[in-house]
Amino acid sequence: MNHNWNFDAVWANPEALLAGAAGTLRIFTICLVLGLSLGLLVGLGRYSVRQWIYLPASAFVEFFRNTPVLVQILWFYFALPMLVPFEISPLMAAALGISLNSAAFSGEIFRGGIQSLERSQWEGAQALGMTDAQAMRRIILPQAIKRMLPALTNRAIEIFKMSTLASAVAYVELLQQGKLIASINYNPIEAYTVIALIFFAFLYPLVQATYVLERKLRQGD
Amino acid sequence: MYQWDFTPVLANSGMLAAGLANTLKVTGTALALGVPFGLGLALLRLSSWRALSLPAGFIVEFFRTTPPLVQLFWFFFALPILIQVEMTPFVAAALTFSIQSAAFFAEVFRAGIVSIERGQSEAARALGMTGSQAMRRVILPQAVKRMIPAFTERAIELMKTTTLVATVSYADLLFQANELAQKTFRPLEVFTVTALIYFTVIYAASLVVHRIERRMAISGETTVH
Repeated sequence: MNHNWNFDAVWANPEALLAGAAGTLRIFTICLVLGLSLGLLVGLGRYSVRQWIYLPASAFVEFFRNTPVLVQILWFYFALPMLVPFEISPLMAAALGISLNSAAFSGEIFRGGIQSLERSQWEGAQALGMTDAQAMRRIILPQAIKRMLPALTNRAIEIFKMSTLASAVAYVELLQQGKLIASINYNPIEAYTVIALIFFAFLYPLVQATYVLERKLRQGD
Repeated sequence: MYQWDFTPVLANSGMLAAGLANTLKVTGTALALGVPFGLGLALLRLSSWRALSLPAGFIVEFFRTTPPLVQLFWFFFALPILIQVEMTPFVAAALTFSIQSAAFFAEVFRAGIVSIERGQSEAARALGMTGSQAMRRVILPQAVKRMIPAFTERAIELMKTTTLVATVSYADLLFQANELAQKTFRPLEVFTVTALIYFTVIYAASLVVHRIERRMAISGETTVH
């Protein structure tokens, strides 16, 4: 345990860490937006009475929830290019894998949230002359979103953590930059410690905010 | 049009089978170590002694909050230099996933223990049991039953997370798939088959979980998350 900690080399290139942080935030944002909006579609699809919508939506959810996200990313990176006539960049492969995986998980959150509302809400909306789509948009979703909020923020945190998997296809994000710094300076202890602390600093406030949100919502009900 | 050809994958199915065995080995090891360690962390975190509850809380929060791949890299690349030991990919993976899943299991245990009504421990005390006797004989047996769904779900998550060991060259299913894809130049078939193997194993496991959940719901025990 007589290691001389020396963080100089890690801070010597702030650009490397900044580029990594920018990459992490970029892929996080892409996957959050794509994952949640696709998830809403899938969640609504699993609520449909039409079999040709319900069945594919369900198959999608089951498949992407029950395979590891890293396998999905590597499939998009190594296997998909065989089928399509264009190149797949590391960002595309990682974003596809993480977004589709998150869509499957958040689809279940949306479905659960919608299902949790009493039937009388639907009946009330219909009695006022709304179509099903109007009732969903104006009555059901606004109430369901509130109940789903803690689960959705948890998903966002998971997406942030999953973004590190993009380093497996050499996309430039924080962990990938940590690898780079460690291999140039032979300082894996300091490099990976700093990367771990940066992630902790990003995510800890988010996690705490989720706890507060959960408590607030529980009091509100 | 791409010509699918699965024969190279079938001819080397032994490689994938060996990979799957290693995946199950890491998952099993992490579960076997993570569950008791998680119970320990949960009990420490529930302790009224702040010298115990604070560090336990910190470990749980830190390992739940940081990405597992960062933890794995730290244990594989940084720790061996720090304590001057040889680190094999298996040991690094087993360590990382044991501690990481212990942090998650600790929260499952804690939620389960907290969900048991106060009256239970009061009654146990009234019968003359000590705090630890009440925990062992009255609280935990009831709490464990409520935790089973959350617990099995976590175990499935763990199995998916173990794919990360491929990045430190442990020969799990995903790593073997990568090798095979390079050897046969058939990434599409290899990775598709690999995804289907994972799906089969994990989906079967989650069907079992659903069945347990339904039985719990019938016997009036709710899922604790």
